[in-house]
Amino acid sequence: MAGYILKRLVSAIPVLLGISIIVFLIMAMIPGDPATAILGSYATPENVEKLNRDLGLDKPLVQRYFIWLGNMLQGDFGRSFSLNRPVIDEVLERFNGTLILAGTSFVICSFLGVAAGVVSAARQYGLADKLITFVVLLGISIPSFFLGMMMILIFAVNLQWFPVSGMWPIYGDRDIAALISHLTLPALALATVATGVIARLSRSAMLEVLRQDFIRTARAKGVHERGVIWRHALRAAMVSIIPVLGIQAGFVLSGAVYIEIVFQWPGVGRMLVDAILTRDILLVQGGVVFVAACYVMFNIAVDVAQSLLDPRIKT
Amino acid sequence: MSFLRLLARNRLALAGLIVMVCVVVLALITPLLPLADPNVTSTGDRFQRPFSEGALLGTDHLGRDLLSRLLHGARLSLAVGFAAAVIAATLGAAVGIIAGFYGGRTDNIIMRGVDMLMAFPYILLALAIVAALGPGLLNALIAVAAVNIPFFARNIRGVTVGIAHKEFVDAARLSGMGDLRIIITEVLPNVIPVIVIAMSTTVGWMILETAGLSFLGLGSQPPVADLGSMLGEARSALITNPHTSIVPGAMILIIVMAINLLGDGVRDALDPRLKSGALNRPMPTTLVDRQGPVPQPQAGGALLSIEGLKTEFHVKNRHYKAVGGVTLSVRSGECLGIIGESGSGKSVTALSVMGLVASPPGVITGGAVHFEGQELVGAPYAQLRRLRGDRVAYIFQDPLATLHPLYTVGDQLIEAVQSHHATAKAEARAHAIDLLKSVRIPNAEKRIDSYPHEMSGGMRQRVGIAMALANDPDVIIADEPTTALDVTVQAQILSLLDDLRRDRGLAIVFITHDFGVVAQLCDRVAVMYAGRIVEEGPTDAILNAPSHPYTSRLMACVPELGGGRRELAAIPGMPPVVDRLPDGCAFADRCHKVRKACRRGEIDLVDNGPDRTVRCIDPEPVREAAQ
Ligand code: SF4
Repeated sequence: MAGYILKRLVSAIPVLLGISIIVFLIMAMIPGDPATAILGSYATPENVEKLNRDLGLDKPLVQRYFIWLGNMLQGDFGRSFSLNRPVIDEVLERFNGTLILAGTSFVICSFLGVAAGVVSAARQYGLADKLITFVVLLGISIPSFFLGMMMILIFAVNLQWFPVSGMWPIYGDRDIAALISHLTLPALALATVATGVIARLSRSAMLEVLRQDFIRTARAKGVHERGVIWRHALRAAMVSIIPVLGIQAGFVLSGAVYIEIVFQWPGVGRMLVDAILTRDILLVQGGVVFVAACYVMFNIAVDVAQSLLDPRIKT
Repeated sequence: MSFLRLLARNRLALAGLIVMVCVVVLALITPLLPLADPNVTSTGDRFQRPFSEGALLGTDHLGRDLLSRLLHGARLSLAVGFAAAVIAATLGAAVGIIAGFYGGRTDNIIMRGVDMLMAFPYILLALAIVAALGPGLLNALIAVAAVNIPFFARNIRGVTVGIAHKEFVDAARLSGMGDLRIIITEVLPNVIPVIVIAMSTTVGWMILETAGLSFLGLGSQPPVADLGSMLGEARSALITNPHTSIVPGAMILIIVMAINLLGDGVRDALDPRLKSGALNRPMPTTLVDRQGPVPQPQAGGALLSIEGLKTEFHVKNRHYKAVGGVTLSVRSGECLGIIGESGSGKSVTALSVMGLVASPPGVITGGAVHFEGQELVGAPYAQLRRLRGDRVAYIFQDPLATLHPLYTVGDQLIEAVQSHHATAKAEARAHAIDLLKSVRIPNAEKRIDSYPHEMSGGMRQRVGIAMALANDPDVIIADEPTTALDVTVQAQILSLLDDLRRDRGLAIVFITHDFGVVAQLCDRVAVMYAGRIVEEGPTDAILNAPSHPYTSRLMACVPELGGGRRELAAIPGMPPVVDRLPDGCAFADRCHKVRKACRRGEIDLVDNGPDRTVRCIDPEPVREAAQ
């Protein structure tokens, strides 16, 4: 197992390099004098010069890339001019917020989605199935930012069950209860689409499995139907559900951008949007590379989970 | 055409189509409608409610007419979404076709790049692109299209690889056509349907994405607004004037939902598995829809008896009569063989006993099954479950498919025990080891922790038998348990079953297509053809003097015992299709003795010597077997 994890980690290195090249090339697309374009026409000459030095813009493209990469590997992502602090500090701080939000959402959509899919498949064409199918359709069609706004309107403004926005109360303790009450609405809004997608795929994975011979064997043994569905069928279906969970994690991470804006959540997504609007390119660059790298690592974890689940995979 | 009809039959997809057509038409004629200018502000009329004078949906924070803005916004969103889809599809297809067509190095490098792009959470890439190009609707469109290129490239590449090696492409190459011409004339026409389907499933997604970027303020810039930026601008007034948010939000929801419904309909219409019912979940027990009276159990103290059993498969409007009135019985310690070609209904008969025929499509339409006097057809699930595996156990063909691939054989054996008897885990495990030993699996203490794929075919089938024995059942129904095995293993398994029967007084119903197996193991044998028994009697008597022409033909092509898995295809002709059985004898078309009378009316199963029956008007004479 340790060998397998090591192998996957090594195989991630080219992917991470590729990601850094792609981000670097996109940023190199910026037309005109990059430093002025980045800083805007009101930038002081000192700032432009400093940025040019930071970016090493006087050197050839390839050399610039390696300087940038070398700096990043040493933890130096440059300095955000709009916040006037090191990019890495800001990204790490904000990523914490995104991790709480997206992590919670991911847990919610995994459990809810798989459970809904299993129930739907087990009751195929029954009332529960039709109901779930309809809700799922609604869930994957509604824009998450619109859903978030409607949730605020109903549950925060009208019913006043939850706070309207933010991660912590402005006054009062920063304890777990406060976090949960602030987290509930955004986490649910963020989880909705992914829950729908996971439910759909779980349903069809389950239907596929339920036709297999070993399900008939389980029934012939006299295993209770509950055991047939949850122990035999779901376990086998998980083999095709887990990769879907990995992909959906990426979508949850992406959707967090909208939800962070709607709920004023202090996360990386909101930071990136602000950075784009202020043309703080180094912050965008650093944030994108960092989050993408985390996502690659997460997918390795998914692969490891898959190999633990399925003994047929050679580790 | 049939595709359109299928789509029309799906009411939800049709609803989606109608909504979509309405929205698209509205978007197209928006400039012609007598609407207020969407960008004219009028500070005096800010935030008017819907249905107010002169503004059907009210006005926004600058007093602009919401209806007009909504329609213009929808027009813009649809246009941008479709444009993004078309661009992504075109570029993605180009990349995919090049990779798939040229293969090798080119393919490798391109797909590596595609994989890298797919390693991003997609929006990060879109944000990075917008960051480089600057906010704006056109740039948002480019970003969304670019992010979706890998998806198309990967799909199209897969299809192209399949086509690139077809004969007609080779032929075109040999005739000296250039690559570009081959791609355009031979490859592209075959790829276009795939592109269209992939587009129809992603258009909704692209509309959502571009609206999302506009919502973030990175797409369309004021005063022009698509649905996303309308929602973004309305956000600050969400609490005071929710209608300005709800109007554009609901519009996005309606559009995307209609597209999704339509996309699902298209997908379902194209999926052959849905049509054939191959995606139906089999229920815990077979459906029972019995016409006619329920037969009483036969006299004579049989342990398990089947009376007039009829099992059908209902697929659409066709009824396949897989089992058409079978009567059989087996006593304790007895082994009954059921023999026939594949499709003769022998397996369905066996599965019907415990309600294990997959349904849908299976339905038991008549007859009864009695176990120790209890009626099993139509018995409640709880009663059947208690008997399954405890009193009546099954052994199936091909244990690689019938054992759960992700649990160790030990876990599966323990589960078999614990499903019926509250046993402590350690005790059940000890029992499982004993079971493995009793089926002569060497090194049982270690083997118990193996997964099925780690064992040989013979060992797996032993596990299957051990599982059937787990609760010391009274009856074992073995459905071609040795067919997948090689000769020596087959002989070992048969002698194992024979020993168990003698030691434990098991009743065995043994289903096979191999007379050699019957001769070795079975006391009595029933020959099935087209869902019915055509001859039944003691094995010796039938083997020595078969009476039904079908039986003799079967035996003429009998392999030597253990001689193998030769299918019984040596008889000329095919068994009849069981949804359209001929009048009279089902074997008539293949029988060398067929006469006019054979095709006239039902032929009954009649007595034919001691303990024997036959379904034929001209059976071979029964000679008493010489002692
Ligand atoms: S009934 Fe006629 S056709 Fe049928 S098996 Fe007997 S002889 Fe042949």
